[in-house]
Amino acid sequence: MGLISGMFMGFLFGIALMAGLREMMRYRGRKRITKAADIKLLSSLNRDDLIKICGENLPEWISFPVFEQVKWMNKQLNKIWPFVADAAEAVIKESVEPLLEEYRPPGITSLKFSKLSLGTVAPKIEGIRVQSLKQGQIIMDIDLRWGGDPDISLAVEAALVASIPIQLKDLQVFTVVRAIFQLADEIPCISAVVIALLAEPKPRIDYTLKAVGGSLTAIPGLSDMIDDTVNSIITDMLQWPHRIVVPIGGIPVDTSELELKPVGKVTVTVMKANELKNKELIGKSDPYVVVYVRPLFKVKTKVIENNLNPVWNQTFELIAEDKETQSLIVEVFDEDIGQDKRLGIAKLPLAELEADTAKENELRLLPSLDMLKIKDKKDRGTVTIQVSYHEFNKEEQLAALEDEKKTLEARKKLKEDGVIGSTMDALDDAASIVGSGVGMVGAGIGTGVGLVGSGLGAGAGIVGSGFGAVGSGLTKAGKFMGFGGSKRSGSTTPVNSIQENEGAKPLQT
Amino acid sequence: MGFFSTIFGFLGFGVGVSAGLVIGYYLFIYFQPIDVKDPIVRRLVEHGSHDLHRLLPEMPFWVKNPDYDRIDWLNRFIQLMWPYLDKAICRTAKNIAAPIIAEQSPKYKIESVEFESLTLGSLPPTFQGIKVYLTEEKELIMEPFLKWAGNPNITVAVKAYGLKATVQVVDLQIFAQPRITLKPLVPSFPCFANIFVTLMEKPYVDFGLKLFGADLMSIPGLYRFVQELIKDQVANMYLWPKTLDVQILDPAKAAKKPVGILHVKVLRATKLRKKDLLGGADPYVKLKLTESKAPSKKTAVRRNNLNPEWNEEFSMVVKDPETQALEILVYDWEQVGKHEKMGMNVVPLKELPPDEATVKTLDIFKNMDPNDVQNDKMRGKIEVELTYKPFKEEDMPHNAENLGEVQKAPEGTPSGGGLLVVIVHEAQDVEGKHHTNPYVRINFKGEERKTKQLKKSRDPRWEEEFTFTLGEPPIKERMHVEVCSTSSRIGLLHPKETLGYVDIGLADVVTNKRINEKFHLIDSKNGRLQIELQWRTS
Repeated sequence: MGLISGMFMGFLFGIALMAGLREMMRYRGRKRITKAADIKLLSSLNRDDLIKICGENLPEWISFPVFEQVKWMNKQLNKIWPFVADAAEAVIKESVEPLLEEYRPPGITSLKFSKLSLGTVAPKIEGIRVQSLKQGQIIMDIDLRWGGDPDISLAVEAALVASIPIQLKDLQVFTVVRAIFQLADEIPCISAVVIALLAEPKPRIDYTLKAVGGSLTAIPGLSDMIDDTVNSIITDMLQWPHRIVVPIGGIPVDTSELELKPVGKVTVTVMKANELKNKELIGKSDPYVVVYVRPLFKVKTKVIENNLNPVWNQTFELIAEDKETQSLIVEVFDEDIGQDKRLGIAKLPLAELEADTAKENELRLLPSLDMLKIKDKKDRGTVTIQVSYHEFNKEEQLAALEDEKKTLEARKKLKEDGVIGSTMDALDDAASIVGSGVGMVGAGIGTGVGLVGSGLGAGAGIVGSGFGAVGSGLTKAGKFMGFGGSKRSGSTTPVNSIQENEGAKPLQT
Repeated sequence: MGFFSTIFGFLGFGVGVSAGLVIGYYLFIYFQPIDVKDPIVRRLVEHGSHDLHRLLPEMPFWVKNPDYDRIDWLNRFIQLMWPYLDKAICRTAKNIAAPIIAEQSPKYKIESVEFESLTLGSLPPTFQGIKVYLTEEKELIMEPFLKWAGNPNITVAVKAYGLKATVQVVDLQIFAQPRITLKPLVPSFPCFANIFVTLMEKPYVDFGLKLFGADLMSIPGLYRFVQELIKDQVANMYLWPKTLDVQILDPAKAAKKPVGILHVKVLRATKLRKKDLLGGADPYVKLKLTESKAPSKKTAVRRNNLNPEWNEEFSMVVKDPETQALEILVYDWEQVGKHEKMGMNVVPLKELPPDEATVKTLDIFKNMDPNDVQNDKMRGKIEVELTYKPFKEEDMPHNAENLGEVQKAPEGTPSGGGLLVVIVHEAQDVEGKHHTNPYVRINFKGEERKTKQLKKSRDPRWEEEFTFTLGEPPIKERMHVEVCSTSSRIGLLHPKETLGYVDIGLADVVTNKRINEKFHLIDSKNGRLQIELQWRTS
């Protein structure tokens, strides 16, 4: 009797215990899950959520900008900046100097840092935005502002001898840096980082240049030349769609997906120009056209002398890397003794082109592409081009990539042989594009006498302006520029012939 | 009779309970397992007011406290990266565990141990705000609030004696507030030498542990007990003031401490090339170490001499003999205008035998470019005597391990006395009326010391160290520290001015051994000067 009832009771008790345990499990499990969901929810609150929880009276310190503020990071950055600056100086020197060399404008034989200190003011991160537009990629946009007090001196050697120290002051950088992280399944989970400056809003990099112990205006065109170098480096290297790909973590990963590569071919026929502005005192302008997508690969038409309505009908092929954001730039120049003057510039976004259909475009010439810099609204005439765009298939793409490599290598070789001063030189008379001054002595005049004359002239002018001691130094600079120039003009012919064969691929029509 | 009946009753109860538990287990747990599910995260707007109240205690710190910053962008970053991290971490964990299991399992007569499932779940760790602290020391301190309420599913199946047991860990939740300190800061990437991690409070840990599918943590009382146990274990290891140290760089190396001294004796130069129009040249020699910020050393000018003799000695501090090199530049002095370079040469320090004087006769070149045609011209020769003396091991300052701690005074310090060390770090917002080329002047017991002058700087950094050997503790002394500025421009009415000063009582230094403070300058608008004082006794 006792046994049976005992067993029965025990049986019930056992089952009840299990049922109870199950209930507890369910309860605790649910509690944990709810908590997990809550925490997840609270990790990405937005304004509406907060208003729902706290009511209308949000704490004053809360705001929800598109770019999230990172005050804590700025505080830390300020503190660590002197150390970062010290560490970065060596790295920058190592990595930027070869770059300067690559993009060095003609007429300057050497461009190096003689002093590089990043100053005491740390850059400020205005905000950070993280998004993902593509599976397996994280895009991080960093809004960066740096109004620093760096002390950067460039040693500019205008010829073989003279070195003009140029100081870069009041540097201000406003830009949005885009870092794209390519994710991977192995630790550290990031296989590569792509870094670029966003084109929109356009990166703003302001600075003033100062020749140490003198004024830059003494050497006209030098500051333009440096501006142009900096600009080319930024637009051709960093500004989206151009980018720097940094593989990370030693994982052998195919980063070619991320690299910028040729996607299509733009065939441009420069047909004619109408009603160009006359820039010459005697006779009319001698116009020619420079066309490019990337500043590194410029092509040029022949010069038509003494004509304001020239007809060229020359066809070129250019490579496009990103149809969505790149543009075709057309510049019209007037060939002149000394420095060539720009008659106008026009831009045609590649996105407007239809695939494989030739279309004629009449473009209005502007004094500058930077709308803020345009002062006069005078009509500068038009240029007519016929453009067609062809999208590459796989084989064509590879071939184009090979071609591009070859061209760059050929230029590098020429540079080592001393035929051209920099890779940008490959375009004949590129000196004229970047402005006067040193270009003035470097353009295509045969007689050395005239060159030395102009060099001396510049020097004398400076002495005249009355910087006693400084003047003597700069006079030397002027003289040496003269020598360099005569040397250069001697080598114009070979550059020219190479130009015909290698760089431009002119398809005479 | 009643007695036996009770005994049987108990016996029956025992048997009944066992049977009941087994049947109950099969009935409730084995046949109706609670699966690990992804929690459904609804948008907050859809929640009712009851749910919102539940959320309030979990509210992120950045909402509640103004000193915490929101880092939702980082949350988003981690969230996007989480699937990849999950896979990577799990694979690594499996790879690490496999050999250990293979080695250990025969000992315990276990046939096999397998991960039936190993995933960290779909919910990433989140940061509910971060707070940073600013101190005067060379360190960065930050306190992120980490909350990971995840849904990992880690199931381990153990086979032994033909039976299979599964242990499952689910719903791991860890809330912790670590303090991460990066120090000391050093001038080479990644710019800090050590990471210290410590927990300011005991972390909160919760999880479900299922044995044969039954969650042991649901047994009332056990969960609390286990939780306390884990908390205490973690606390024993990492609760403040205990820390976890991770060394990133060797601080002594990274800080680029001096490792030796280079003695240079400039003897003479011969057959220098003529530079001036009238007469020969007025040569002098400039010596500089590459990668060094110290100002270059100059010899005297030998007027109108193309074969000058100097016989002048200099010594320079070497920080890295492997990469540094001595630059020898010969200049032509001019009364007016720029001094013209006559030529140069470079001696890498690694070519020099240590502790041995070598006399070198060097050709001087236009520049160091071997391809430059201009270097073919003869520019003369220069003769120098070079001795590199590396510091001996015992001379090396041993502050690598105990940075921030006060060192012992060197031997020879009078007993009862000590060494007063003044380190002038930096100043902020110093501004002169006419010019701001600041340097610091320290006046102590009639002795005056000066830092080097920095040109046009409102926020100068000096980082210079001065020492005073004292016979007795300076309890009643005061130190006068003044920031001055001078300008060498001619015709200026105020060639020298004071940008602010401060008098520091030294009694506190003696009692505290070390003081690192930012002093507000007197007679200055907003100027602040950071000075570190140390009292070293033997």
